[in-house]
Amino acid sequence: MKPNAPPGACEICPAHHPANLKRLGVNMDRYDFVVALAGNPNTGKSTLFNSLTGLRQHTGNWPGKTVTRAEGGFAYQGSNYKLVDLPGTYSLLSTSTDEEIARDFILFGQPDVTVIVVDATRLERNLNLVCQVLEITGRAVVCLNLMDEAERHRLTVDERSLARELGVPVVPAAARQGRGVPMLIDRIHQVATGTFVCKPHRIQSEPPALKRAVSLLVEKLGAAFPDLPNARWVALRLLEGDARIEEAVRSGELAELVRVPEGAAPAEGTG
Amino acid sequence: MIELTGPILAVSAALAIYFLLRPGRGWLERWRRRLRLSDRVLSEDALKHLYHCEYEQRVATVQSLSGALGTPVEKVAGLVQRIEAGELATSEGASLRLTPKGREYALRIIRAHRLWERYLSEETGLKEPDWHKRAEQQEHRLTSSEADALAARMGNPPFDPHGDPIPTQRGQLPPRRGQPLTSLEVGERARIAHLEDEPEAVYAQLVAEGLHPLMVVQLTHLSAERICFWAEGEEHVLAPIVAANVAVVPLPREQPVEESLESLAVLEPGEEATVVGLSPNCRGLERRRLMDLGLLPGTVVTAEMRSPVGDPTAFRIRGALIALRGQQAANIRISSRRQVA
Amino acid sequence: MSPANTREEVLEAAANLRWEVGPNLHDSLMEALYTDAARITDRVLSRDDARPAFDLDRTIDRLVTSRWLGFPIMMLLMAVVLWVTITGANVPSSLLSSLFLETLHPALKQAAAAAGLAWWLDGLLIDGMFLAMAWVVSVMLPPMAIFFPLFTLLEDFGYLPRVAFNLDRWFKKAGAHGKQALTMAMGYGCNAAGVVATRVIDSPRERLIATLTNNFSLCNGRWPTQILIATIFIGSLAPPALAGLVSAGSVMAVVLLGVGCTFLVSWGLSRTLLKGEASAFSLELPPYRPPRILQTIYTSLIDRTLIVLWRAVVFSVPAGAAIWLVSNIHLGGVSLAEHLIQGMNPFGLLIGLNGVILLAYIIAIPANEIVIPTVLMLTVLSVGLPGVGEGAGVMFEFDSASATLGVLEADGWTLLTGINLMLFSLLHNPCSTTLYTIWKETGSVKWTAASALLPIAMGFLVCFCVAQVFRWLGG
Repeated sequence: MKPNAPPGACEICPAHHPANLKRLGVNMDRYDFVVALAGNPNTGKSTLFNSLTGLRQHTGNWPGKTVTRAEGGFAYQGSNYKLVDLPGTYSLLSTSTDEEIARDFILFGQPDVTVIVVDATRLERNLNLVCQVLEITGRAVVCLNLMDEAERHRLTVDERSLARELGVPVVPAAARQGRGVPMLIDRIHQVATGTFVCKPHRIQSEPPALKRAVSLLVEKLGAAFPDLPNARWVALRLLEGDARIEEAVRSGELAELVRVPEGAAPAEGTG
Repeated sequence: MIELTGPILAVSAALAIYFLLRPGRGWLERWRRRLRLSDRVLSEDALKHLYHCEYEQRVATVQSLSGALGTPVEKVAGLVQRIEAGELATSEGASLRLTPKGREYALRIIRAHRLWERYLSEETGLKEPDWHKRAEQQEHRLTSSEADALAARMGNPPFDPHGDPIPTQRGQLPPRRGQPLTSLEVGERARIAHLEDEPEAVYAQLVAEGLHPLMVVQLTHLSAERICFWAEGEEHVLAPIVAANVAVVPLPREQPVEESLESLAVLEPGEEATVVGLSPNCRGLERRRLMDLGLLPGTVVTAEMRSPVGDPTAFRIRGALIALRGQQAANIRISSRRQVA
Repeated sequence: MSPANTREEVLEAAANLRWEVGPNLHDSLMEALYTDAARITDRVLSRDDARPAFDLDRTIDRLVTSRWLGFPIMMLLMAVVLWVTITGANVPSSLLSSLFLETLHPALKQAAAAAGLAWWLDGLLIDGMFLAMAWVVSVMLPPMAIFFPLFTLLEDFGYLPRVAFNLDRWFKKAGAHGKQALTMAMGYGCNAAGVVATRVIDSPRERLIATLTNNFSLCNGRWPTQILIATIFIGSLAPPALAGLVSAGSVMAVVLLGVGCTFLVSWGLSRTLLKGEASAFSLELPPYRPPRILQTIYTSLIDRTLIVLWRAVVFSVPAGAAIWLVSNIHLGGVSLAEHLIQGMNPFGLLIGLNGVILLAYIIAIPANEIVIPTVLMLTVLSVGLPGVGEGAGVMFEFDSASATLGVLEADGWTLLTGINLMLFSLLHNPCSTTLYTIWKETGSVKWTAASALLPIAMGFLVCFCVAQVFRWLGG
């Protein structure tokens, strides 16, 4: 426990126990877990980043504010977390620089937890990205942000069903008011330490021809890289001819992704 | 007064001689290199022609070569001699054939050409009419390793924007698909597999008609003078000789016929419709962006408001309000247009 | 089998499967993803179908994009922002300038004299570096500290994307993006901030166009130059009752010329230099959100104002040194500045300017704010007016327009010089702060050079043509 948390550190999250959280700003010397922050543009990712780290990065009501990667940190229940704010993207499948930065970090940076920030008022479009991230990594938490706006537009999201469908924790939040932030930190902690075991959703609706090609390729991948957690996704990328992934297969770099980071229980579900 | 005419003349003459004869980069040297290059360009174009004939199972002759290159027969004869001397092709009677070495060479040029077209179509803002012209020049300049690097960067694309397969690094190509548009029967539906990009005048006409690979067409009229068909809600009329440059793959008849599809551009504020698909005309960055936003078959789109000056229009797409320009909306096919309840 | 072989086998299998899957893989994958997303959404999302009697977002949208009210609302908001900025900045600006120039500067001089500082060190540090920095801060800080938070509030509220929506059609005709309207508006505050703001344009070609043309928005540092020159050269031609109106009108004409240049150059660039850059339009209109005023003021001060100000200060200090040095280093008994002015004078006169103006634009490149003080100091130096100004290398300004006019006319300034200075102040290379920002944002020396050379070439050309026509008309 951290008895030395500064008073007033939590002016925007009244429900939080200040004893447990300490905002570390950019002063990150050592950290136990890396947390990536992904999401569509304009979903309040930067606001969430600021309330988690105590930093004040500029945010605006514009899609696409964060262009470069921002990093910060916080400590919770004795563990130090490094938080990386990735550029906001609609997808991870296209070829823009932003998407490559986000995708490479989630895949090769191997964050212990990926938080996917979702705009509750545009759930369908945001779930598209969630499904893509869950193909890459199962160690994820979905932050259902902008709940206040959803309420204003008379939308209700059944977060328990959503968590069941996605197989990862779902935390409703309104980051601008600080609502849901303590719960989010707790879930991040649970996934990072392996207390919560995710069973991530996998794409189900691909056409038969694609399904066949993917399963053929997954089989081959299984021979070359046993226990690869995201073989289906790697297969899809190979079918799209992603040069970076081809290189990772050729050099064997992909095998390193199999190893489970120290201090964490194996959290991947089925491969 | 100081007279400077003499010295100035002398200095200019010296400079002129220097620029003309400068070793390696002099004008004379460049001119000779260009001559050599144009020789190489001509023989590479000839190899390409021989390869296309082989792929389409036609017979290549000195005459067909002269027609394809737009060069007089006498000059082509010399060219053929050079090619044969290089063991790139052999002649049997009137017909010309590629040797394995020549075929490999031709495929390398075709690979460079199609890769460059693909690059221009996907990663630059250049429009369709420019692709072929630029690729015709670039194919002679790209080395194989440059072509490979380009291919790797683009994710080794299997097809060029005209629907033609791009030869692999090892020179592999799948067998030819499709049959000429003119071979369809009236009422039959087919998907465009490929638009022949040569001769250029015919290709320009096909582009002007707005035809693209993957477009679905349905034949409505066929005679010796003209061929009429529907494609994406518009009727097109072509001369059969032009239509023969369109290769199609027939579709099964039982599928329902989607006639006279409308585009999203016709939607007035207060109306909604279901997206049928994105036109193949919409490609590259733009296509990926629209799909990322959720514009996919089956999406219900509502027009919400129009800019005070008439363009763009804001649409409600999967919960988000997105402005699209008329030009973009015209590439999105819709059906069951209706008033919002 | 060795692992390397198994890995190669994977790649080979993938290559073969790709022919089979065909060219539509991306499309079918996106369809699959969205099908899944839609199915899940259906299960977990329920909406209250009783349509609310009053939908605030929709009502605001109808209003701000309406055919009759859309543009008036836009103009009104822009006018309010500008008015608040200009009137609001006056008081703190004069406070700061009296603090820096009338209190701090003499105090520093005294302290230096008391400490027995060498005259040249005292001149270089206090008259050169300190003065340039003080000038930039006092002229630049107040308007920016007001303009940027106001702009950010409109941004936070969600109004700005609607402006882009309203104006997009015209920008599209020039091959640009509607969001360029906002980067232009930001440019009226500061071009460097305008260049940073082009980040919101997510299409590569349109973003470059917006970056390269931002300089045609008359920035905060150039407004005072325009107003001063318009007042003393153009306003004075009209009867006194109309003088204010005429000079304001001529400044507006320069602003409109800037807008015209923006569209013209955008159109040209999109068809020539930038023809091959990738382009894709998308403009999302986010829901309106109540702006959080305090937080907005804080972040926009930190993120925009202070960062830009800091860059300007960093660049103005060496410029201050350069200004002092060229005026105080002598070659053969004549100062370096006078040599340079003499050298550039013929070319300056050819394009209807003079050597002083050209030299001032070269050494005052870090900030447009110090151009007029530099012009005045150099004029006094080169004409040799005794008892005027503060001495060689010390920038100054007059309180009255007529005193300024007197000095300028002593150097042979005419109406033509005034008009061309106004034009040149619009059409010249961006200040070094902006150039540095362009380089940071584009990461390209080529585009940075283009954005410097293009406007300056246009400036020379326009000034030359105006000079020819003016002299031909004047006989």
